[in-house]
Amino acid sequence: MPKAARADSVRRVPRLAWTPVAYVGTLVGLVLALHVGPAAADLKLLPPEEAFRFAARALDTKTVEANFAIADGYYLYRDKTRFSLEPASPLIGADLPPGKVKEDPFFGRVETYRDRVVVRLTLSQPMAGRAVTLVAESQGCADAGVCYPPNRQKIELTLPASDGKPGPLLEATPARKRWFN
Amino acid sequence: MNAATRPAAARRALVALAAVVALALGAALAWSLRAPSPPPRDASTLLAIALPDVDGVSQALEQWRGKLLVVNFWATWCAPCREEMPMFVKAQREHAGRGVQFVGIAIDEPGKVRQFARELDLNYPSLVGGYGAMELSKTLGNSVMALPFTVVVDRAGRIVHTQLGPLKPAVLDRLVAIDG
Repeated sequence: MPKAARADSVRRVPRLAWTPVAYVGTLVGLVLALHVGPAAADLKLLPPEEAFRFAARALDTKTVEANFAIADGYYLYRDKTRFSLEPASPLIGADLPPGKVKEDPFFGRVETYRDRVVVRLTLSQPMAGRAVTLVAESQGCADAGVCYPPNRQKIELTLPASDGKPGPLLEATPARKRWFN
Repeated sequence: MNAATRPAAARRALVALAAVVALALGAALAWSLRAPSPPPRDASTLLAIALPDVDGVSQALEQWRGKLLVVNFWATWCAPCREEMPMFVKAQREHAGRGVQFVGIAIDEPGKVRQFARELDLNYPSLVGGYGAMELSKTLGNSVMALPFTVVVDRAGRIVHTQLGPLKPAVLDRLVAIDG
């Protein structure tokens, strides 16, 4: 629409005639929002790397602490949680804490983790100053009624020197921001 | 005259601005609430695939073109998937005469799929797909690549429904009743 015509019509509109336009504008905006929203959305779900955020840090020359921060409404299966090192090196202690016991109609008695789970992993031998890749395998679901495929996440860590301080807490693949996708 | 008209004009301008801002905000909200990627209306990419069945025999989805096709991505490790499948078995039995065809695509191992199909008396084929099948589901609207995910294709080869998460029985009833 030509600008001149618009300006002209604005000048001739009687006083306060724009108030209904404001109402209609707001209304149209709201209707758009309410109509388009639910029609397209199935379930509002997080991608797995945001629902199950994996982080780890090296505590000393032979101990690594791994943790999952689990979003509200999501859970991981204990028996699907596994840790390993690359290059392959045995983990002698990888004691998974007990989970919340759930009687599943299909899988029987299963243990699940919610909120946060912290696991201490002990290397079979000290690896002072060495770089390793910690690999976590996990599988979880959302209470909303979906499950995510088994997921592998990796974090590269450098074990501290014999007299060194614990390393920083490192996150696996930073969660991407998704405004419009 | 100036003193009388200027406040009115200013008010009009302000109200007009408010209207524009409200409309813009509403539109922005509507945009942000849209599903990430609306599925394509045409099911050609889905119908073009072929995947092995539990016996390893390749099955092209094209063979079911012309049917009301319900394609369900699932896995044996997915409890909500297993939970809704008896409903699909029942619907397959009741509506087969009307050209309704269910097809499963399992993101799983053939052995586990075969075993579960036996347990459930699965009366429709389930193909076996890997990560590629998961990627395919993403292009159809499964933005977070979770299961179950179901796509309904009408007899004209158009996608009429996609569902991430379990299908509600009422929605399934409505979908399998589609004649076109």
